[in-house]
Amino acid sequence: MSQPSDRGPDLPNVRFERRRLDNGLRVIVAPDHLAPIVAINLWYDVGSRHEVPGKTGFAHLFEHFMFQGSRHVSKAEHMSLIQGAGGVNNATTFFDRTNYFETMPSHQLELGLWLEADRMATLLDALSQENLDNQRDVVKNEKRQSYDNRPYGSFYEKLMAAVFPADHPYHHTPIGSMADLDAASLEDVIAFFQAWYAPNNAVLTIAGDVDPEEGFAAAERLFGPIAANPDLGRAWPPAISPVMGAEHREVVPDAVPLVRVHFGYRVPAFGTDEYDALEVATQILAGGRGSRLYRRLVREERVAQDVAAFVLPLVGGASILAGWVTARPESDAETVERMWHEETDRLASEPVSEDELARARALIESAELGALARVEEVADRLSQATTYFDRPELVNEQLDRYLAVDAPRIQAAAAAVFRPDNRAVITYVPAAPTTDEDADADADAAATDSDEEAAA
Amino acid sequence: MTTTADDTLAYLDSRPGPGEPRAYHFPRFSRSRLSNGVELITADLPGRPLLVGHLLLGGAGAGVTGEPAALAGATVLAARAMTEGTQRRDALALIEASERLGAEISADAGWDSLAVSVEVPRSRLEPALTLLAEVALEPSFPADEVERLRDERLNDLLQARAEPRRRVERAFAETVYAADAAYRRPAGGSELTVPALDRDVLAARHAAILRPSGATLIVAGDLTGIDVRALAERGFGGWQEPTAAAESGIGDSDAAAGGPGRVVVVHRPGSPQSELRIGHVGTPRRTPDFHAVSVLNAVLGGLFGSRLNALLREEKGYTYGVHSSFDMRVGAGPFGVRTAVQTEFTVPAIVDTLAELRRIRETPAEDEELAIARDYLVGVFPLRYESSGQVAGAIAGLVAHGLPDDELDRYRPAVAAVTPDQVLEAAQRHIRPDEASVVVVGDADAFLPALEAAGVGAVEVVREEAPEPEG
Repeated sequence: MSQPSDRGPDLPNVRFERRRLDNGLRVIVAPDHLAPIVAINLWYDVGSRHEVPGKTGFAHLFEHFMFQGSRHVSKAEHMSLIQGAGGVNNATTFFDRTNYFETMPSHQLELGLWLEADRMATLLDALSQENLDNQRDVVKNEKRQSYDNRPYGSFYEKLMAAVFPADHPYHHTPIGSMADLDAASLEDVIAFFQAWYAPNNAVLTIAGDVDPEEGFAAAERLFGPIAANPDLGRAWPPAISPVMGAEHREVVPDAVPLVRVHFGYRVPAFGTDEYDALEVATQILAGGRGSRLYRRLVREERVAQDVAAFVLPLVGGASILAGWVTARPESDAETVERMWHEETDRLASEPVSEDELARARALIESAELGALARVEEVADRLSQATTYFDRPELVNEQLDRYLAVDAPRIQAAAAAVFRPDNRAVITYVPAAPTTDEDADADADAAATDSDEEAAA
Repeated sequence: MTTTADDTLAYLDSRPGPGEPRAYHFPRFSRSRLSNGVELITADLPGRPLLVGHLLLGGAGAGVTGEPAALAGATVLAARAMTEGTQRRDALALIEASERLGAEISADAGWDSLAVSVEVPRSRLEPALTLLAEVALEPSFPADEVERLRDERLNDLLQARAEPRRRVERAFAETVYAADAAYRRPAGGSELTVPALDRDVLAARHAAILRPSGATLIVAGDLTGIDVRALAERGFGGWQEPTAAAESGIGDSDAAAGGPGRVVVVHRPGSPQSELRIGHVGTPRRTPDFHAVSVLNAVLGGLFGSRLNALLREEKGYTYGVHSSFDMRVGAGPFGVRTAVQTEFTVPAIVDTLAELRRIRETPAEDEELAIARDYLVGVFPLRYESSGQVAGAIAGLVAHGLPDDELDRYRPAVAAVTPDQVLEAAQRHIRPDEASVVVVGDADAFLPALEAAGVGAVEVVREEAPEPEG
C-alpha cells in the first residue's frame, strides 16, 4: 500500500495500490470505507486531440455510443442498469482523454465493472445506423444548449482556435464541427473504436468501499480476458512554439447586455513546474475575493461585474491560460482590458508578496482537501495521474507541488507568458438580436477584421 | 494468434448479480445547547479534514418569504453584505483574514432561512469559528460596499434577461404564481425593488433575523480531538436575545398562491433552441406522501431512463436532456419539467410532455420502472453525503423544515416500501396537466402558428426590446 509517511492530518493522504494486467490495463484500487459506496473510473487515452482533420467531434460522438448498448446490453439499458442498481454515472470527453465513471453501492461493484468490460470488449456488436443518427441529433442539441444558445457561448471555440495554430489538434474543441459530424459514417465510428478502445490504452481506478485484493480480483476476472490491441492508434501533437508569435484580436457582436473581454495565452503543459507556478499565479490574479483583479476591477475601481483566470490541464506539448473580465455598463472594453494587462504585467515585473502567496497556498490547500472528500473525484484524479504521467502518487503530491511554488517562480512563469505576442483578446459587444443569417455574416466580418489586425 | 473473441469473451454472457448489501446509516450527529440557547449539532466524519461550520438562522420569517414585497431582495442582499465588513474589520481585512486560514466564509439566504458558513482545514477551526461569529453577529453593512453589491445585482438582472435558461426560470415563476405570491418574485429582488435597498434596510433585515433562540450551529467533519462545544461557546456564547419581540415573521403575502395555467412565449429571435418549462405550483416539503412523490418524479423525469427522457431524448432526439422536479420548500414550491429543444421541435415537445403528464395519472407505473426508481433513490442516497459540506447541508435541511432527527435514516426504507398505487395517487394529487402553464423562451416566429393550433391554450407572446448597444 502506498502511504505517504509523516504527513499531517490536514494533508491529502489517499491510500492506493496499483497493478498492470497482462493485457496492459492499468488498475488502481484506493480503499476508503467511510460509506458503502464505490467509484469506478475508466480513462481511455483518447480525446479530441487524437482526431484528424475532417473528423472533428468524433471522440465525443463516440462517447455517446458507449451508452447505446453492447453485446449483452441493449440500447439505453446501460444507464437503467446503473441507476436501477442505485448508482450514478456519466462520461466526459476532453482534449487529451475520454473518461467513463459510475459511483455505485459497493455491493454492486461487479455489475459496474461488467458493464465497462462489456462495452470495452463488444461495443461494435450493437452499433447501428439508427443509433448513429439519433446520437448525432442529441450531440447537436448538446452543442446548441451549451454553446450556441448561450451568451458569450462561442468564446471557448474562439479562444482555442486563436491560441493554437490550425495544424495543431487543440485548435478545435471536443464538441467539434457539426459538418464533420454530419459526414460521419458507421465505418468511421468502427475505425475509431478499433484504433483507441482497448485495455492497453486505458486506466481503471476503483475507489471507496473495496479492499485491494477484492478489487484486483474483480478487475482481472472481468477485464483480464479482453485482448490487447497490438496496433493502437498514434497521434502525437506536432511540435509547437512556446509562444503564439503574434497577438490575435477579435470583436464579436453577440446577444449580450454587458461587454466581456476574453483572454487566452499559450502556456507550458500540465505537469511542468511552470504550469504549477501559473496555477498559483491565477489564484493570486483572480482566485478569490482577495485576488488582485477582483480587488481592483470589481471592488475598488468598480469597472467590472466579474473576473476569472484559470489554466486548463492539457498535456499535449502546451496548454492555455484563459480568463475574462465582464465590464460594468458604465465602463468599457478598453478600460477593463488595460487594467487586465497592467495586473498581468505586474505579476511578470515584480515578485508577489509573502502574504499573497500564503493566502493563495491556504486556499489551494482547502480546495484540494475538499475535492478529495469524494470518492468520485479521488478516482478521477488517480486515473488522470496514471493516464498522463504513469504516476498515481501525484494524487497526494500535487498539493505539495503547488505549495512549493515561490515568488521567483511565479514571476518567471508570468514573464514568459504575459506578452503581447502571446495573447488572444476576444471582445464580446452587445448587438441587437438578428436572424441566423445576419449573425453568421457578423461573425465572418469580425473574423476578417481580426485577421487584418493580427497581420498588422 | 489469440483464440476467437467469442470463446474468450463467453464469460461476459452472465451478468453479475448484486453482492450482500453493506450496512449504511446517515452519519450520526448529536445535539446540545450553548448557554444562550443556540443549538449545537456536531457530526464526526473520520477522514474528512476539511470541516464545515454552518450557522443556520431559522424560525418564522428568517428567509426571503419573510420580507415585504416592496423590499424584495433585501434578505439575499443582506446575506451577501454580511461578508463585506464587521464592527472590527473592513471588507478587505475580513477577506484577507479568512483567506489566510484557507477559509471560505459565505452567507446565503434561502426562501425559509439564512445561513452563514465556513469551510476550513481542521487545524484552523478555532480562528475560523471566531470569524464566522464576527460575520454573523457584527456585520457593519458599509454603505459604500452595499452600493456596489446593489449595482452588481442590477447588472446580474441584465445578464439574466440575456441568458435563455435564466430568462425562462423567471418567466416560469411569474407565470405559475399569483401576482402577490412571494415565490413569484426573484429571490434576489427585481429591477423595481433592488434600487431601494440601502445599508439601513439591510441592517434592519439582519437585526430582525438574528436571534439566538432560532439559531443552530452545525459543525461537521473529522472532529477527532476537537472540543467543538468549547470553541462554539467561545465564539457564540456571548450572543444575547434582543429585547425587542420577534417580528410576526410573515411577509405581506401568501408565499405560494398559484394562478391559472397560461401559455407564455418570450420571443427571442434567432434562438437555435427553445427553453421550455411546463408545470404548476407543487407541494411543500412536509407533504405526508413525500416518499411517493420522490418515486413518482424519478419515474416521470428524474432518471435518465425516465418516461420523459426516454421519449424526448432517446427516442425523438429533440433535446440533450429533460428533467422534472418538485422544488420542495416550507411552502409549495414549483413542480416543473425543464428542457431545451431544437426550435423546430418546440410544439411536438410540448405536446409530448403534456401527454406524459396525463399518462402518469391514468395507469399505475410498470413494476420494472418502479423498481428502478425505488432502487435508484435508495442506492444513491449515501452518495450524497460524503463530504462535510454535504452532511452539514442535509442536517440544516432537517432543521429548516422542522423534521425529526431520524428522517434521513427513515428515507431508504420508506422509499423502498412505496407501492404502484401510492405513486398513482401521488400523481393524481400533485400533477395537474390541465392547470399546467407552458413557458417558452425561443424564436416565436418559428413555431407560433403551430403552437396556437396545438390546443394547449391561448398563447401570450412577450416581445421584449432588443438589448440596447452601449452608447
